[in-house]
Amino acid sequence: MAVDQRTVTRAVRPRASSWGRARRRDAGTALLFLLPLFVLVGGLIFYPFYRAIWLSLTDKLVGYPERFVGLRNYIYLAHEDTFHQVIRNSLVFTVGSVALKIVTGLAMALVLNNVIRGRNFFRGLFLLPWITSTVIIALTWRWMFDAFPGRGFFNSVLLDAGLIRRPIAFMATPEGAMAAVIVANWWRAFPFFGVSFLAGMASIPKEHYEAAAVDGAGATRRFWHITLPGLKHVIIVTTLLSFILTINDFNIVYVMTRGGPGTATQIFATYSYEVAFNQLRWGRGVTISIFLVPLLVVGIASISRYLLREAR
Amino acid sequence: MRALRILTAVGLVVFLLVILVPFWWIASMSFKTYEQIQFATSIYVPKPFTWENYSGLWAETRFPLWLRNSLITALVVTVTTTVIASLAGYAVARIKFPGREAIASLILILYLIPPALLFIPLYRVLAELGATNHLSALFLSYPTFTVPFCTWLLIGFFKALPEELEEAALIDGAGRITAFVRVLLPLAAPGLVASAIFAFTLSWNEFLYALVFIQDERSLTVPVGLNLLIYGDVFHWGQLMAASVITTLPVVALYVFIHRWMVEGLVAGSVKG
Repeated sequence: MAVDQRTVTRAVRPRASSWGRARRRDAGTALLFLLPLFVLVGGLIFYPFYRAIWLSLTDKLVGYPERFVGLRNYIYLAHEDTFHQVIRNSLVFTVGSVALKIVTGLAMALVLNNVIRGRNFFRGLFLLPWITSTVIIALTWRWMFDAFPGRGFFNSVLLDAGLIRRPIAFMATPEGAMAAVIVANWWRAFPFFGVSFLAGMASIPKEHYEAAAVDGAGATRRFWHITLPGLKHVIIVTTLLSFILTINDFNIVYVMTRGGPGTATQIFATYSYEVAFNQLRWGRGVTISIFLVPLLVVGIASISRYLLREAR
Repeated sequence: MRALRILTAVGLVVFLLVILVPFWWIASMSFKTYEQIQFATSIYVPKPFTWENYSGLWAETRFPLWLRNSLITALVVTVTTTVIASLAGYAVARIKFPGREAIASLILILYLIPPALLFIPLYRVLAELGATNHLSALFLSYPTFTVPFCTWLLIGFFKALPEELEEAALIDGAGRITAFVRVLLPLAAPGLVASAIFAFTLSWNEFLYALVFIQDERSLTVPVGLNLLIYGDVFHWGQLMAASVITTLPVVALYVFIHRWMVEGLVAGSVKG
């Protein structure tokens, strides 16, 4: 049925005027179909964003009317020691976990690429952390690192193996807490890197490897000269995407450490929440997240360029 | 060649351990008694094995209520998202109109905006609408991240369908809407299922908005409820672990059911475009 209707389509050529009318009608239909999306986006994304900018220019305290204070929130934060630490923490957290994700993601893709039987099974299994709730992941790793052997996996294993005499309170030190939140964030997302890189490897032409093998290139050289350059695109996109998601992370840090000990793991979103909902300073709380907007704009613009160029 | 095989096998085992040990640690703790956890006995395998955490969780906590709230929210959001995203996805993928490229870019940009940027002003907007402290806050706010993602996914699905089918329907005198409902939607069914499951999973796992917008303990969703249990005064570790297991299972079940679709969707939605 489909085939003879296709011939009908080719045979019938509508006149120019009816084409114009059809175009206009099409534009109307498109608008109708897009209307729910526009209402949602306008009312619940753009409008709140505008409100965020406005709030950041006020000294809004919960329970008091807001007063316009210009850039005072921005200037205050630019000079605040805690906020400087938040910026450093966010960078350590993000760069640390994204770098780990790239390396282990590559390793995972290389391993799976060599698995012939059951590759899809393992690929599916490895993705389990990615679909699990981040709150549960945060909770899981909180227990893995727990100082108490019955609950903490690492302490149980290290004690049993006789490597330590008494349990270590991993999350009680600033460095330990930061390492713990990095590990939790890494564990959740590296399988996604692995699966993306695996898809990228599948699209590298086999002939490149064959030619290299003929030239006598070993596995290491094939990796550096064919695999890695072939994955350049997917590595850039995945890294940018993960960078944006990680620097805006809230769940893992909030559930595992609440930003502590002290402010050792306080990052943008958790600090913004702390200032807005514990200190009740909404104006300043919003300003903290707005500091990230320039970075987001650059990141989103680069990802869009890559993805949209490919989509065409 | 042989060395490569050994290396692959070793790598596979290492990754299996890295992925599975944390899951197993939580699951095994959910089957231990309070004393087994407290006094660190039978550390690796629960012995004796007990269901008391599961029954306690069901009888003594508000977990069943939270589970119900999460389920209602995820279902409502999934339906709303599927309707909005399939309409918008179809329009962008199949109708030629001025500005469609711009709208495609806009959808991608919206998908990349992190919820952490908007939770404070969104709270104010919802409060003014009288929608906070109730699940309706989540019905309204979750589509802000599910719709852009699912629309982006569905644009790809609609684009991949053969154009002739729809043209034939249009030539036969069917309007756009009929063509969409009768011809394209049934063909895009696998895409719609994938997109619905993504919407469900994203809502099911969401934490920040639920934490901020809802204080009433009767309207909490599971992730926020779990967070309460963690920092509660009395530590029922076993129950907490049991709750984690129960919460993870539905998503894993959905995932097993369509895992190949989901893997392709993930890669397509986030990497290939």
